[in-house]
Amino acid sequence: MVTSATQQARDEAARFVARMDGDAWAAADEAELQAWLAQDPLRQGLLLQTQAHWLALTPQAEETAAEPEVGEEADTAPSGAWRRRGVMAGIAASVVLAFAGLRWVQSPAAYTTRLGEIRRLPLSDGSVMTMNSGSELTVTMAQQAREVELTQGEAWFEVAKDAKRPFVVASGDVRVRAVGTAFSVRRRETGVEILVTEGVVETWAEGDRDLRMRLTAGDRAMMSAHAVIDYETGVSSSVDRALAWRGGMIDLDGRTLYDAADEFNRYNRRQIIIADPDVAREKLDGLFRVNDPEGFAEAVKASLGVALDTSNPALIRIE
Amino acid sequence: MPEREFNPGTGPVKEGVTPGEADATGAGGEPARRRRIAVWVAREIVPHEARIRRWLARSRLSPEDIDEVMQEAYCRIAMLPSVDHIDQPLAYMSAIARNLMLRRLKRQQVVVFEAVSDIETWRDEETPSPEEQAASRMSYERVMAIIGTLPERCRRVVELRKIEGWSQKEIATHLGMTEKAVEKQVWNGVRAIRDAWLRAEALSEGRMTPVEPKEARRW
Repeated sequence: MVTSATQQARDEAARFVARMDGDAWAAADEAELQAWLAQDPLRQGLLLQTQAHWLALTPQAEETAAEPEVGEEADTAPSGAWRRRGVMAGIAASVVLAFAGLRWVQSPAAYTTRLGEIRRLPLSDGSVMTMNSGSELTVTMAQQAREVELTQGEAWFEVAKDAKRPFVVASGDVRVRAVGTAFSVRRRETGVEILVTEGVVETWAEGDRDLRMRLTAGDRAMMSAHAVIDYETGVSSSVDRALAWRGGMIDLDGRTLYDAADEFNRYNRRQIIIADPDVAREKLDGLFRVNDPEGFAEAVKASLGVALDTSNPALIRIE
Repeated sequence: MPEREFNPGTGPVKEGVTPGEADATGAGGEPARRRRIAVWVAREIVPHEARIRRWLARSRLSPEDIDEVMQEAYCRIAMLPSVDHIDQPLAYMSAIARNLMLRRLKRQQVVVFEAVSDIETWRDEETPSPEEQAASRMSYERVMAIIGTLPERCRRVVELRKIEGWSQKEIATHLGMTEKAVEKQVWNGVRAIRDAWLRAEALSEGRMTPVEPKEARRW
C-alpha cells in the first residue's frame, strides 16, 4: 500500500521535472505543482531529489549555475563582509566594532534586568526586544550590522526587516542571525536555547561551521559551542508556552515540579526548595504568575497533597 | 518612550519589505530558485548521497526510515531561499540528516541511549577515501551507459537534451515530434536516471554495511 503510493508520487515528481525541463512552463503549471506539493510535506524533498538526479552530471546545467545571478549580488556583498568580520566579532564584538567603523557605530549600549524584572525596549532600528528576569546584554547598532551580545539570561527579539543589516545575537560561541523575524535566545548552563516565533533564523557556532542550522517558526534548538544538543521542529504551541514570561506568566505544560521550581526561582528572591526527589519528578500543568511563588506552592500543596514550610521568608520548602 | 535616547542620527525606520529583502530569492521567481537549488544539489550532494545514506545506516534505522530522513533533509534544503551561504554543502547536509535521524530515534521508544550519544558525536570527514569514492560515485560514463540502455526514441531525446543541451522545443522540431511527446520521453529518462542513482546507492549501502561496529565508531 504505502510503497505503491510512494511509487506514484515518485512518478508524478518525475513528470513535473520533465515538464519544468521543457519550454512552456507557465503560471498554471506552477499552480498545479504547488497544489501537488501542498498535499504532502515530503513532496518538496522528493521533487528536489528527482530534479537533482536528473541534472547531475549534465554539463550544461553545471555551466549555467556558475554564472552569478543579477538579483543576488546586492544580498551577498554585505553578508560576505559580515562573515569576514564575524570571526573577530566573536572575541569582543563591541571593541572590534569601535575600531572598525568609528564614524557610524553608536557606542554599545548595555542593558540589565534585575531579578523579577521583565523589560520591553524599542531599539533605534525599529526592532523591539523583551528582556527576561536577570538578564544582561549589549546592543551595538552599526551601519553594516546590528549586534546583540547576550551575556546572561534571556531575551525575545522582534526584528525589524533590514536585509542590508543582519541582526545577530551572540551568546558564548553561539550565533543567531535574523533578517526580519521574531525569536528568543536564552543562555543556559548547558548551552544556548533558541526559540523561533516568526520567520526564519540562521544559527551557528563560532569555530564549528558544521553546526550551521536554519530554524523556522515553531522550531526550538539547544546549541553549545560544539553540538546541537536538542532540536525540535513544528512545536509552535510549546514555543509560545515557553515564552509565556513575556506576559508575566509561567506556563507549565507537563513539566516536572523540579523544572517549575527552577523557573520560579529565576524570577523571585524567595526561592522554592523541594525536599523529596520523588515529589520533584511529579509533572504539573497550569498557568501561573511569575511573581507568585506562594500561589504556585499552594497549588502544588493542593494537587499533590504535600506539606509546605513557609516559616522562612526567603524560602518556600515543599516537603 | 526610551526610543529617543538611543536613536541619535539614525533616519526614520522603514516599514515593510526593503528592496534587498524582496530580492532574497533572486531573479526569475520560484521556478528559477528551485532550479538553482537543484543544480547545486546535483553538483554538491547527489554524488555523495550514497555516502550520507551509508553513514545513516549505522544508526540501524531501516532503509525505509533512511529514505524518509533523506527526503526530509531534501525538504529542508528545498525550502531555503538561497544556498549561497552554505560553505560546506556535504557537511551541511550531513548535519541536517543527523539531526532528523536523532529526532526519529528519540521518537521511537526503542532508543538505545548508547546509540544516540554515539551519533551525537558523529562528524563527517572532509574527504571521502578513494574506495568510498569508487563505491558511491556514479561517473559520467555510467550515466552515458544508462542512457545507452534506453529505448531508441527515448535515448535520442535524452542525449540531445541532457548531453547536447538542446531545448525540448528544438528536439521536437528536429525529430518531427510534438513537444508533448518529447516531454514524455524526458519523463522516461528522468525516471531511468533516478532509478540508476537509487540502485547505485542501494548497492553501495549493501556493500558497506557489514562493517564491525567498533570500526564504524571511528567516524
